[in-house]
Amino acid sequence: MKRFIAKLLLLVIITALPLKATRAQKQPETLIRNATVLTVTHGTLQNTDVLLRNGKIAAVGKNLNASPNARIIDGTGKYVMPGIIDCHSHSMLDTINEGTLAVTSMVHTADVLNTTDVDLYRELAGGVTTLNLLHGSANPIGGLNTVVKIKYGRPASEFLFPGAMPGIKFALGENVKRSSTPNQPGVTRRYPNTRMGVEEVIRDAFTRARDYKRAWDEYRAASKNDKNLIPPRRDLQLEPLVEVLEGKRYVHAHCYVTSEILMLINLADEFGFKVRTFQHVLEGYKVAKEIAAHGAGASIFADSWAYKIEAYDAIPYNAAILTRAGVVVSMNSDSDERARRLNIEAAKAMHWGDLTEEQALKLITINPAIQLGIQDRVGSIEVGKDADIAIWSGHPFSVYSRVDTTFIDGEIYFDRAQDLARRPELAKERAALEQAEPNRPRPQGQSPQTPRRRPSGHADDEIEVERP
Amino acid sequence: MPKVRSRLLVALVSLALLFVNLNANAQRNTIDTYAITNARIVTVSGPVIEHGTVVVRNGLITAAGENVSAPPDARVIDGSGLTVYPGLIDSYTNLALPEASPSPSPGAGRGGGGDFFAQTQPRPTPGPNSTRPPGLQPEVMVEDVIRPGGAEIVAARNIGITTALTLPRTGIWMGQSALINLSGETPQQMIIVSPLAMHVGFTPLRNGGYPGSLLGVFSSLRQMMLDAQRYREAMQIYERAPRGTRRPETDRSLGALVPVIEGRMPVVMLANTEREITRALDLGEEFKLKLIIAGGREADRLSERLVKQHVPVLLSLDLPKRTTAALPEADPEPLRVLRERVEAQQTAGKLAKAGVRFAFESGSLTNMSELMANAGKTIENGLSATDAVRAFTIWPAEILGVQNQLGSIEVGKIANLTIVRGELFDRNSRVTYVFIDGRPVDLRPPRNEASTASPSN
Repeated sequence: MKRFIAKLLLLVIITALPLKATRAQKQPETLIRNATVLTVTHGTLQNTDVLLRNGKIAAVGKNLNASPNARIIDGTGKYVMPGIIDCHSHSMLDTINEGTLAVTSMVHTADVLNTTDVDLYRELAGGVTTLNLLHGSANPIGGLNTVVKIKYGRPASEFLFPGAMPGIKFALGENVKRSSTPNQPGVTRRYPNTRMGVEEVIRDAFTRARDYKRAWDEYRAASKNDKNLIPPRRDLQLEPLVEVLEGKRYVHAHCYVTSEILMLINLADEFGFKVRTFQHVLEGYKVAKEIAAHGAGASIFADSWAYKIEAYDAIPYNAAILTRAGVVVSMNSDSDERARRLNIEAAKAMHWGDLTEEQALKLITINPAIQLGIQDRVGSIEVGKDADIAIWSGHPFSVYSRVDTTFIDGEIYFDRAQDLARRPELAKERAALEQAEPNRPRPQGQSPQTPRRRPSGHADDEIEVERP
Repeated sequence: MPKVRSRLLVALVSLALLFVNLNANAQRNTIDTYAITNARIVTVSGPVIEHGTVVVRNGLITAAGENVSAPPDARVIDGSGLTVYPGLIDSYTNLALPEASPSPSPGAGRGGGGDFFAQTQPRPTPGPNSTRPPGLQPEVMVEDVIRPGGAEIVAARNIGITTALTLPRTGIWMGQSALINLSGETPQQMIIVSPLAMHVGFTPLRNGGYPGSLLGVFSSLRQMMLDAQRYREAMQIYERAPRGTRRPETDRSLGALVPVIEGRMPVVMLANTEREITRALDLGEEFKLKLIIAGGREADRLSERLVKQHVPVLLSLDLPKRTTAALPEADPEPLRVLRERVEAQQTAGKLAKAGVRFAFESGSLTNMSELMANAGKTIENGLSATDAVRAFTIWPAEILGVQNQLGSIEVGKIANLTIVRGELFDRNSRVTYVFIDGRPVDLRPPRNEASTASPSN
């Protein structure tokens, strides 16, 4: 029997060998030589090589060797940085808000991914490799989020970040109570209309979730003896909230002012769950200790404020004060445009509040990774982590620097030289396509097309806008 | 004595038969036997008969072949120079529905994914006592609102369509479709199969209620199918133990979904872009549905998955084209849009090559005369003419489960015939006769066609 197993094992190994070889060929080793490596967790290493193999960071050090067919990149004068992680994004979502109800925990952003969104390519060109795709802020309890790697050009299923903690979007304050929505005669406003109502909606939802869990527990116990018991209804709205109560799902809560931040902390304590991140949290600096004590992270803007009443009390020292209070802080975009330059957003924290370079780098790398529960996979340059990195032409905190190449799982998803080289070919394709029969303009057509979507500030204050 | 009795019986029976026969003839009041002779016959199921005869009697095809002669009681049509095809099937329409005058879809021209989003059509009035709002009522049956006659039906027949799957395209659970013949005095005479399939669209409700976004569309579809699973289980338990089980509430909406979640009734999902089709395929896999894709503009990009999951496509011939005039101040169109329009014409050919089962449908085309021209474009872009004929005949019949009644010229099948001078997709061809249920239907002169089909244009 033992011999049989041994034979079987050998067979498995033999059959697996060629498979492995072909995969290695498809995804060659990459050796970046002699670069400045911003590891984030282990300081900055000068004149250092980074070896990427099988989608992982295989080695970091001096004079590394690669296999003969490896891709060799001269990193002299260049900077290697972990792929940037954006903890608040709405890119590649066909729609952001299900705003008809106050509690929409049944909707899932994973259902509406658009892998062809060109914003993804622009984000890769800004050194971003991971996004936390959040539901909008139209309701106290919004939909489920999706953490993705920007594998632009691949099917949606390959975007999903393996092993990322599931999460859910909550929102408090003005967007939720529809402060910017004018009253229309004859139209009933959706409840809630005040911050008191927001609290009540969330408390009610968790009360229902607790009852729901109990109903299922009772059914499971009783159905062992009674085969004719009709099961309770599966409720997609309450199931994710049960997961929150059980600590299996992260809460990312959009918020602004201190009162609502403290309200949610108290409510979470009451029901026994943790808020994983406060998003935006413009007045976070006022309650930094309370946020730190709860164990929540903060995902903020560098210097975006005063775009509505609840955003008046913001200060640019938010990142520094929260960091010094012991809060895990990240700098997010909430915007397809800002997402291209999160490096500069992080750099601002060195200016306002004197964070160190390493602290500032963490705001867009390991800190958001921690907030999303993916810190074992990404967020720093360490052996064994995913080969999600970007090569910059200069220090990423300089406005003159730009990304040369972006890798995800060791594969190139953006390369500046390749992009430039492809342009004449694309121009030729365009010329040919414009001549094709279905693309020829009609003699009497409609008025010219609406202009393409222009980059906007951030999605937070345009909650009702649906993308085409 | 027994002999006398049996003779009497025979006499009585024959008298009765004669009476019945006379009566039937009186009712039909016309000839029911036709023979099309000297014609080229594209049987679809077998080889093309270059010179033969098709005999049609009492609504069915009774003979077809080279050595078939016309029965003495048949009205003979000389088919010299004519080609006889099986009646063409349009596998997704809104024909025979009240006020079914679809507005031109602005999405199609841009190649955006919103072809079906912009349409507002009346839908069957919701059943009384439904537990769901309009748009989420799978119990709605198109059979209840079908109306015979109308300009659209005439326009479809003029280009050789004899049979159509019909359903209004609004809502999320759009209801249950019917396969109809485009001839008949009453809805009952038109219907071939009803209900044929359940239909789903990914268009959010527009009345302010949930689901008001694409996000909610998917969660509400999921929730209703989960509810239907529980409803089925509850009903089974109740049937097993009516004494001692609290009676589950009846629910027509959930009841209508039971055959769907059991995989007995096909579900047609409207999906054009790659990501729409992916979402439909994911949902189909999740709930083990008998899925059919309708629209399918980018279906070729998912050929492998469609073949693997055995999902056929009702491919829309509403091909996208540029609708705007050339204006120097306008932004250049994105490369993606330019590519999509060109590639849409190649989809049919690529699907055929990849072995994906598909059938043509008119989609949201408002001008039926474009249908054949667009089919011609798919032939110019890689589809064989033979496969184009199949995609209008035997393939839709197979996909819709009526291959025993329709889709080819074979003895015993419904006598739906499209008779053309020339070749079907040839620009100079002309539909000369259309037989539906064994009877020729009136064809309007082609010149009036466009104006009757779409008075809005």
